[in-house]
Formats: sequence, structure tokens, C-alpha cells
Amino acid sequence: MEELLERLAVCIEHGKVDADSPYPPELKGQEGATELTRRALAAGCPPREVLAGGLMTGMGRVGDRFEKGEAFIPELLIAARAMTASMELLKPYFESGDIEYRGKVILGTVAGDLHDIGKNIVRMVLEGDGWEVIDLGVDVTTEQFLDTLAGNPGSLVGLSALLTTTMINMERTTAEIQVKYPGTPVFVGGAPLSDEFCAKIGASGYFQDPQKFAKHLRGPADTEGGD
Amino acid sequence: MSQSSRELVRRALRFEHPERLPRQLWTLPWANIHHPGTVAELERRYPADIEICQYFYRPSQRAEGDPYRVGTSTDAWGCVFRNIQPGMIGEVDEPILANMADAAAYRPPCEQLPKAGSREWSEAQDVISRFHAGTDRFVFANIDTRPWERYQFLRGTENALVDVLMPESGMTDLLQKIHGFYLRELEFWCAADVDAIPLADDWGTQSNLLINPDLWREHFKPLYREYCEMARAHGKFVFLHSDGFVTDIYEDLIEIGIDAVNSQLFCMDMGELARIGKGRITFWGEIDRQKVLTSENPEDGRAAVREVARHLYDPAGGIIAQFEFGAGANPETVMVIFDEWEKVHREATR
Repeated sequence: MEELLERLAVCIEHGKVDADSPYPPELKGQEGATELTRRALAAGCPPREVLAGGLMTGMGRVGDRFEKGEAFIPELLIAARAMTASMELLKPYFESGDIEYRGKVILGTVAGDLHDIGKNIVRMVLEGDGWEVIDLGVDVTTEQFLDTLAGNPGSLVGLSALLTTTMINMERTTAEIQVKYPGTPVFVGGAPLSDEFCAKIGASGYFQDPQKFAKHLRGPADTEGGD
Repeated sequence: MSQSSRELVRRALRFEHPERLPRQLWTLPWANIHHPGTVAELERRYPADIEICQYFYRPSQRAEGDPYRVGTSTDAWGCVFRNIQPGMIGEVDEPILANMADAAAYRPPCEQLPKAGSREWSEAQDVISRFHAGTDRFVFANIDTRPWERYQFLRGTENALVDVLMPESGMTDLLQKIHGFYLRELEFWCAADVDAIPLADDWGTQSNLLINPDLWREHFKPLYREYCEMARAHGKFVFLHSDGFVTDIYEDLIEIGIDAVNSQLFCMDMGELARIGKGRITFWGEIDRQKVLTSENPEDGRAAVREVARHLYDPAGGIIAQFEFGAGANPETVMVIFDEWEKVHREATR
């Protein structure tokens, strides 16, 4: 089983969705993430182990390479596609309670901003790390974040912005979340941001790349991608 | 002052000691909407040495709406943009070639371009020649050559990024179609009386190249090389704008013959950029738009100019003082940038 999960992790890391996927060329003709996930579950591997030993390990590896500048956005995106394909097969086990999410994260690009690639990558990395993500999309108002928090108490919040004119909207959103839902961790990300800005608006943390964010959420005691 | 604006820019590009630093202000419609007085004052005090040729193709049948207004607009390529902020460009929500199968039937807007040898072509060339003769500024072709961004607009950003890993799944063909259009367009502008061909594609994230540099070299560098070769064969300079961290391709840009690069210097190690490119390529701006120009303290603007100068300035040339007055910029801070550059040059050449 260990070997099967390792093959699955390799497929996730390198973005091999299924046997028909042309990428990566060195795995041409071989089973991909979809087939290997099915096979692992059929062989009786606990879904939690498939998630931890296959999906999270694979996403963690490509995320680490991205953090070091050895992998780039396309590699992260294609890994996320393979992860998403496997995750579809694990969905029933999340619904039945056989696997538990680490927690819930509400993500969105703040009001006035239509950019979504950074936010989407964060979503994929967090999903690959075992989080349930509610993606509110782009141009999300403070009220939308508050309404979603009302329906999902205890969630973390992630705010994204690419523009200097829209990042200031993070301040109001963060402040109102703290007023209505004190103690809710609100994290921020986006090209023009900085630690200083994060501190100024009272957000809980700013991360330059998705893997650093995922590692932070995991906490110091759990940094290997396992569960 | 005996050197004209055009001469100043040419000397800066050739490292032939311009009398003063040539300059160029990029003004986004946002600045005109929110700070019209500052824009006017900047233009009065520091007239630009570079301008864009005011010749336009005939209107496109596909284009609709104003991209800088709130709502949707369609460009000449048929790409539909949604905008929610006046004075800014929106984003493509639903790319028209999201399904690669649709790419085979897709045609770039070649109908807009004057046909070589036609009356329209020669009349257009006359208009451009008169424009060039009527100004002493350095003249850019009115062109929007951006193969990668065009590819993204057509396919959608996520698809485009993944396509880079599987070029044989349709990217190569679609990119060649886009490239073919740009070559035809360049053919027209290279025959015209303009000084330079500007290219633009954002290749960086905040801290790295968007894609693996080897893939960039394999699939995109040859396109830019071809543009440069065509331009240089006609005696034109080539300028390139690329946002983000692009240190890894600076050497390539020099090699293929780009004369001036506009990049986000403050995302990168300027010392390293100096080692790669100082004396070999012109740094066409910029001053940081994310933290410096938005600062409420004009001294931050002056310090930023000094930092660029410390690494990249050479009185022989290689600098065009450029920055963008765009969304979120503080008018007091933008007002000091050219002043500080003038001081830098004066102190070095007195």
C-alpha cells in the first residue's frame, strides 16, 4: 500500500491527472491520480491515509519546491488539477465523516478587485492540505464575508487583493469581522501587501506564498503534510 | 539645452551622454479622474521626451465599449473584459477560447491592418511621417505587441499557465497565430517613421518568474527575438515592459536585442540587475508603484530615486526616468520624482 500511495503522491506532485493525461511526458501511459486513488480505496486503504499519504504529500512536495523557487505557477496549478481529480473521489468520505477536514477557510478577493489567480492558487493548496474552502470569488464585499461567517462559525478568513486601491478595503473587512466575530483569524495576501500593512490593519498574518500560509495554518507541530 | 527630446532618448539608449535624463510619465485614466491638477502640473513642469504616434487603425468590427468605463467591453480580438472601477482596465471573465477546440477556427483581427502596397498603407505611412516630422520627441509605434498576455486573454490565465507545460496540446498553434498577427503589424510599423517598437508582457510574480525560465526560453524568447530582429533591421529601437520579478530573463533580453526594459526594479535585487545589465541595456524606469508612489511621505519618493540611481545610474546613459501615475498613487509623492532625477544628473555632471 505504501508503494501505491507513493505513486499517487508522485502523480499529484507532477500533475498527472489520469492515464490519458499527456503531462508529464515521463509518466506517459502510466496510471494517474484518478486511477491510483480508485485503486487505493478499492484495496481497502483508509481514505484518511489516501488523503494524507497521497494527496497532501504530493501537494506538499510541489508547494515546497514552489516556496524555494524551484517550481513555478504552472507546476502548482497542474498539481492542483490532479489533486482535485482525486479529491472528487474522496468527497463521499468527507460527507460521511470518514475523513475530517482540518477546518474551514473562507476565501475571497476583496471588493473592487477582480483578480483571482493568486486566490485560486491559495484555495487549491489549502484544499490539498485538507482544508474545506469556501471560495466567495472576486469583488467580495465585507457583508458577504460576514454573512458567510454567520453560516460557518469558527472559520478562518483569507482576503486577497492585487491592487493598491483595493487592498485598503481589507482594513474595513478585517475590522468589521473583528467587531462581529472577535478572535476570527483573518489572513491577507497579494502582491502589494507587506507585514507592515498587515499589522496596520490588524490582520492575523500575511504570507507571500500559499505554501507558507498552509504551513502556518498547520502549526509548528505538523509540518510534514501528514495528519 | 541643445539636444532635442529625441536626441536625449537616443543618446541615453546608446550611452552617448545625454545632456539631461530623458523622462516619461505614464498616466493611467485613474490619475486623470482623481488628480487632474497634479497630472497637468507634472506635464507642464516635466514634458515627456517620448510620445506615442497618433495613428490609429480603422475601427474594429469586433470592438465594443470603453474598457476604462464600468461595465463590459470587447476588444478587437473579441475578448470581453469586465470592469468595476472607472479609469482602470478590467479582467476577462469568460475567455473566448477556454475550450482549445475553438482555437482552430479563431482568426486574429488582421482585417484592421493596412495591406502592404495598398493605398491605405501608403496614406497611413504619410500620416505617420508627418507626425514624426512634426515633433522633436522620440516616437513609439502605436502598437500593442503582447503575445503572452494576448494568449491569456484568449485562453484564460489558468488555462494559459497550464498550457505552457503541454504546448503540443494547442498552445504552439494558437501562439503562432497570435505571433503571425504581430509580425504583420510590425511589418507595417517597421516601414513607418517611428523611432521605437514597444513590446509588453508581464512575466514576473512578486518574487519569481511566472514560468520556468527554460520554458520561457523555449517558447517565448524566439517570438521576441523575431520582433527585435525585424525592428533592428529597420533601424528601430525596441522597448519592453514586463511587470514582476524578471531578473532571470534580463540576460536573454539583452542577448536578443531589447534596448530598454521597463520592469518593477523594486521587486528585484537592483545590485544584481546592475551586474547583469548596467552599461548594456537601458533601465526605462520605474519607481515602485506598490509602496513608494502610494506613500504619503514625498521623501520616500526621493529616497527611491536615489536607490535606483545608486545601483543603475550612469551619466553616459542607460536610464530613462519613468514612472506610472496610477491607482492609489499619492500626488505629493509623484510630484518629486522627476525633480530628484534632475538633481541626480546635475550632481553627477556638473
